[in-house]
Amino acid sequence: MGTRPRRRLSPRAWKVLTLAPALALFLLLTLLPLANLAALSLHEVEWLDREAVWTWVGGRNYARIAEDTLFRAGILNTIVFAVVAVALQMVIGFTLALTTTRITRGRVFYRTVFILPILVPGIVIGAIWKLMYSFDFGVINQILLLLGIAPVDWLGDRSLALISVIVVDVWHWTPFCYLLLLAALETLPRDIYEAAEIDGASFWQQLRRLTLPLMAPALVVTFVFRMILAFKVFDEIYLLTGGGPGTATEVISFTIYRRFFTEDQVGYGAAISLATIGVIAVLIVTMSRVATSREAAT
Amino acid sequence: MTRHLAGLAACALAVGLGGPLAAQDQPPITIVINQSPWFPGFQSVVELYEEQTGNTVELDINPFAGSLEKQRTAVRTDQSPFDLLIMNAGFFVEFYTGGFIEPLTDIDPDFTLNPDIYTFDDSVYWDPETNTISAETGQLHSVPVNPFLPILHYRTDLYEENGLAVPTTWDELYENAKVLNDPPRIYGISQRGQRGAFDVTFDVLPYIWSHGGGIFADQKGGDFTVTINSPETLAGMETYLRLANDVGHPSTAGQTQTNVIQNMATGRAGHIQGVPAPALFDDPTQSAVVGQVGYAMVPGTAANPGTPGLGHWLAGIPKNIPDDRKRAALAFLEWFQTEEAQRAYAEAGSPPVSRAVLTSEMAEQDEYRYMPALAESIENSRLTFVIPEAAQVLAVTELRFNQAIGGEIPLEEALNMAAEEIAAAMVEAGYDAPTLEPLE
Repeated sequence: MGTRPRRRLSPRAWKVLTLAPALALFLLLTLLPLANLAALSLHEVEWLDREAVWTWVGGRNYARIAEDTLFRAGILNTIVFAVVAVALQMVIGFTLALTTTRITRGRVFYRTVFILPILVPGIVIGAIWKLMYSFDFGVINQILLLLGIAPVDWLGDRSLALISVIVVDVWHWTPFCYLLLLAALETLPRDIYEAAEIDGASFWQQLRRLTLPLMAPALVVTFVFRMILAFKVFDEIYLLTGGGPGTATEVISFTIYRRFFTEDQVGYGAAISLATIGVIAVLIVTMSRVATSREAAT
Repeated sequence: MTRHLAGLAACALAVGLGGPLAAQDQPPITIVINQSPWFPGFQSVVELYEEQTGNTVELDINPFAGSLEKQRTAVRTDQSPFDLLIMNAGFFVEFYTGGFIEPLTDIDPDFTLNPDIYTFDDSVYWDPETNTISAETGQLHSVPVNPFLPILHYRTDLYEENGLAVPTTWDELYENAKVLNDPPRIYGISQRGQRGAFDVTFDVLPYIWSHGGGIFADQKGGDFTVTINSPETLAGMETYLRLANDVGHPSTAGQTQTNVIQNMATGRAGHIQGVPAPALFDDPTQSAVVGQVGYAMVPGTAANPGTPGLGHWLAGIPKNIPDDRKRAALAFLEWFQTEEAQRAYAEAGSPPVSRAVLTSEMAEQDEYRYMPALAESIENSRLTFVIPEAAQVLAVTELRFNQAIGGEIPLEEALNMAAEEIAAAMVEAGYDAPTLEPLE
């Protein structure tokens, strides 16, 4: 009795077969919730006699977005927050990485100290800084008083509140940039620098002509990572200011949280969630393209 | 023989008491609750219940908004993980209107609210036919667990030192606060002004109501004319701002309930309008003003007495739990209403919800000196919202009041904007919500 020859999968079928589980998981965890969100955004949901009643409202939820004070403030503040905070984190993180990459003494100690803030949970950071910023009892105002300066309302003054929150974010996330950029810096080939030094290139010339171009991919990746995370800022705002005073520190994730969960406007909450995803996607793609094209140009 | 008879009598008594509500041999229950200044007292009472009955109670403790979200999720699933929902005055109506709360008399037809327990503007009764709060036609849906409402706290030592009388009007409070105001050592008054889930609105409403204003014309009567930009509401807000700006904390717009309590506990505030948390101020490990805080009903105007807004807490049993768990939750509520439990609640540092305890001989003791003010305040208090859209209305008032207090936009403009936004939300929800002429 002869055995039947085993059929071998074609390379294409093999690819499809091996990709299928990951694809199914992606569909299940990403596209399905998004589709559900899209359906929800076209309805109003009411609870009557323990039953959810979905009422079709078409584009009404989207039409409301433009008139939403909190949404407008949230988008604007989020952009300001993300751009300023991430720019500062990149500059400080890169400077720290440049400074410390050549130091070998006490390397473990200072690296541990530098990355400490990133290890602290957001909720603890919020509590620590809220105490430090406290108008009456905060250490910052106590120091100012010792210097004869009147206490400052760091979180209650609308002209200062967003800056105060940005400072906390910079303190929290600079180590992230520092770590990524330090790792990238340490992989740069030493021989190019040795050649540059023999050619008499100054530190600034080496930085401009060698380090920055070589570091461009790492800088772009770090920047994009941080921008994505900065756009999602929530815990620091929730703990420090609750979005106030007024709308001074309202950020978009907080607006969505309020509309969706606190106010239980699930249809409208879904609409602003999708609108936000759209706005952020456009911004991130644009920034990445600009960064990549500059990288290519250099 | 006598021994046998005695044994039988004991059995009969045990059977008699062993009806559906007997607090014995009940399955464990879980209570979802928020972390509030009164929570430690409630926790103590729960422990006492467990000790006395042998029943087990789990507490699921959350921040204010977190508790609301958990409760919503719980009642919308097939089976709630919680057997008792501790619902706030700001959002209990949405649970009633959604049909999520089991009328207590449907669990046990003999269950009644102890006549000594306050009904808090009848908020425990709900008529599902008319979707209204009504003691006449409604069914008992909940039992109050905490009388959360603002009362005036003042420094008795400073009052004595300066020969001041307890204020009954805002003008008198202003004058007293002016005497005590000596920043940054001490502020005449510290008030909550930050926006949150139900924060600044809670503190400004007594000002607004006592000036004849409000958010709506008559919610209970079904008149949803938006009056938040009426001249009376404006007058109430102007009084609040006069106190905040002239004799208040310099950062009123950024003050939370915690800040306000902190200011009183550390001796930095001459007055606060706060919820009763007597245990905190008389605890030497937490307070620098032990025995120096006096309590009175919030002031009013010459025309209207003080009117505190209710932010009280009600315990309701969700419909989506098995019957045995409903009975176990009801057994806890039955026990909680007793005078013994209410006294223990007060002794543990939380204000009770029983008239009998608040007006008992306890009120004459220095430790419970808040009780007369609280009892008077409850009698004069009123519900803030009787509509399920409360959270949406609050989102508007919290923002606009805060913006006006922080000086981000002029008061008149803030009230006009609030009126427009509230009317829009109400109309969308199907109410007839006319507005007034905008303030100039």
